[in-house]
Amino acid sequence: MARLSVPNTARLPSSVRVDASTSAVAKSLNRLTRESLISLALDWLDESAFPNSTPFLRARMSEEEDDEEDDDEDSEDIYPPARTIEDLRQLYEDMRQQKGSKRDVVSRILEGDWRHGLTLYQLAMADFAYLDEHPTSQKWNAYQILPLQKPSHTEDEQLLKVDKESLQAPRFHPSTFLQNLQDQVLPDVKAHYHFHRLQEFPLLLLRIFVIDSPYNSALALSSLDQSGTVTNFDASRTIYLAFPDGSPSLYTTKSQGTGSAGMGESKSLQNLIIDGVPKALSRPMERYTVKSTSITTRNLIALLDMKGPGRGNAAGGGWSIYADEKNKHSPLDAILPTPPGSREQSASTSGRKRGAPLTQSQRDRKRARATAQSRFGESASISDGKGIERFEVVLQDPFPVTSRNLPALEENQEEVSEDGESQSRTNRQRSKVESVLQQAVQDIDDVDDVNEVDTSPSHWTPMLKVTFSGPHVFAGIRQLVEAGIVDGKRMPGWMTGEETVTKGAVHRGRIRGQKGSGI
Amino acid sequence: MASETNEAEADVLGDEIAELEEQIAATKKQLKIQASTIVASIPSQSLLKESSRSRSKNNKKLLKGLQGQEAHQQQCLHRICNPVTAFKVHDPDPNAVDGGHVLGLRFEVMSRSQFLKPYYVMLNRPYSKSSALRVHRHTLPSAVPLAGLAARHLPPPKPEDENPPSQDLDQFVRTLRREIIRYHNRLGISADLRRALGLHQITEGDTGPSSIVEVGIADIEAKQIKLTWSDERNGRLVMDDDGKVTKFSVFGVDGRDWETTKSLFDRPQRIEEVMEKLKQSSTS
Repeated sequence: MARLSVPNTARLPSSVRVDASTSAVAKSLNRLTRESLISLALDWLDESAFPNSTPFLRARMSEEEDDEEDDDEDSEDIYPPARTIEDLRQLYEDMRQQKGSKRDVVSRILEGDWRHGLTLYQLAMADFAYLDEHPTSQKWNAYQILPLQKPSHTEDEQLLKVDKESLQAPRFHPSTFLQNLQDQVLPDVKAHYHFHRLQEFPLLLLRIFVIDSPYNSALALSSLDQSGTVTNFDASRTIYLAFPDGSPSLYTTKSQGTGSAGMGESKSLQNLIIDGVPKALSRPMERYTVKSTSITTRNLIALLDMKGPGRGNAAGGGWSIYADEKNKHSPLDAILPTPPGSREQSASTSGRKRGAPLTQSQRDRKRARATAQSRFGESASISDGKGIERFEVVLQDPFPVTSRNLPALEENQEEVSEDGESQSRTNRQRSKVESVLQQAVQDIDDVDDVNEVDTSPSHWTPMLKVTFSGPHVFAGIRQLVEAGIVDGKRMPGWMTGEETVTKGAVHRGRIRGQKGSGI
Repeated sequence: MASETNEAEADVLGDEIAELEEQIAATKKQLKIQASTIVASIPSQSLLKESSRSRSKNNKKLLKGLQGQEAHQQQCLHRICNPVTAFKVHDPDPNAVDGGHVLGLRFEVMSRSQFLKPYYVMLNRPYSKSSALRVHRHTLPSAVPLAGLAARHLPPPKPEDENPPSQDLDQFVRTLRREIIRYHNRLGISADLRRALGLHQITEGDTGPSSIVEVGIADIEAKQIKLTWSDERNGRLVMDDDGKVTKFSVFGVDGRDWETTKSLFDRPQRIEEVMEKLKQSSTS
């Protein structure tokens, strides 16, 4: 390796090694299962991956020397280096057949076959193997890619606006995108990129690994600097971008550091990437921007459903009956269709019911179930795997005044202010509320809404934020409706998830600015 | 031994039950088809109408069924004849604008002489001072530029303007349908190409050096088709809105393969012609 490193703007090559003793390396391997560790090692030994993941092999020596050293090394080396790749491949194949602990495999990799360090390529593959196993391990934010107006030549330095009338869809070409993105990265940070397709999801993932170093050689990652203090690898950040097939959207994760770094720093990196992405997507005469869509979730299936290539982008909740791929509604079908939730569904229980008339509670339950069916359609069932885990709304409607609760209003006010546990916490929540509001105001493109912003001062309008959380929020609400706890008929539309957002501001009972148009 | 025979018997019985249940379902379906056919036939309709004077319970039920069937048939007829049909929807949201009145538009799509699941666009009137429409919900794929079309043909009213921009629903529907059909035709083209090259079923071994092994859609709008040859050459084909090939390039292991490019594409032409050439070159 050349001892001389010159700062430049190139990306980090995949073959740069990270010292095997680094704690972050061990950590990223340790979270994998034994099974996937072995298949990962076999992937590294594959011919196509080989140049970027060369294992530590015994140097070819003459026979006699070899024999002598064999005895020497066996005594002190637990994992004697293999002679050829084939041997190693066989060794891991054997390990797959046998039973053993995960720890053995990890230490074999770190202290044996890759004792000279794992390359960035290998680390990226390890991270993706983890993501394959735990697709919900990352929290994704969805962004929309929107075309910008062409700049006019008469005015320069103008702020480009979103071209609402454009009919273009952005084209995404991975290698061109990467080249352009690299141009956006500042010279004092170095990044390593790795593309990957997850097994179960129709999206292309890009892992961006960033370190603060002007060098793009192994020097950038050496745990000890010349001064012997700075550990660059610990200050690294990883961020994932996902490009769903056939949809002009982009999903990103928050950046995760291996070491300890401030909140602000990681946020600024994320902003840097988000700023760079539209520039990398743009081409001459075709510019794009990204816009947040108020969707944040861990569940990629739900995300693909709400902001993906399918039909569900702007038809959530009860409207999903129109997006359902299963019933085709062919006009050549002469049979009268049965409306959802009628006879057909209850056919199995009809035999039992015929004898005795329904009791009041049974009738109520049946009605509640029918209401739930009409509000949610086929969506929001607990087993559909499309659960979002958090749904936040800020209510901006005046408190409903009835003759009964009027005297209680005063009390309520105190209650609300006492709600936050401590002052700092309230402040943080307040700022969260404000960020949601800000987002909502940005979203307003509707003239009527702007006019309606001035809430009548005669009504008391508390600052209320409602957060639903659980494994599948809307399935939970549906169950409440079915149980008769929530009145299905009077329930506002945003509680059915038909707006396809995970946070928003509610005004006049509707999520503001969004209106589900999805456009 | 006894338990084994019992188990075998239970298996046989279980199979029989499943078979019978299948039969029941099939017969029920058959019954439905027959019933709807009988109700729909003209003689039985006139018979029913004649006997409508008698007020028996059965008769009422039959008449109700007849009405439903008639309405459904009319709807089907309209849908068969018109590619775009409109219907009324009630928004179940209690806070819905305009009393929950929603105009639904149904866009029929066909592929290989079959009706596919239609696309829907729902419009409502959220504006207090004007009756302008606005897209409320839709089930269109992202490849169809609905937002752009809505901004062009259904502009929102502006209060400061004296004369608000006029909305043209007719033009909106026309252009939208055009985009949908174009998109589906482009999807169809790449599927046809795959079928023509025999790639829809996996066949091993009979791939020559110059045969195409993979055909894929490469962008959101399905305007670009990615081709892969068995000798690791890569090709990219770009067509415009109307299916005219505008760009075509082939990359070999060492740079651009001008020869193949020229033999397949020498001037802008229809995608079908290029397809024919691709087919010939792949089979030869």
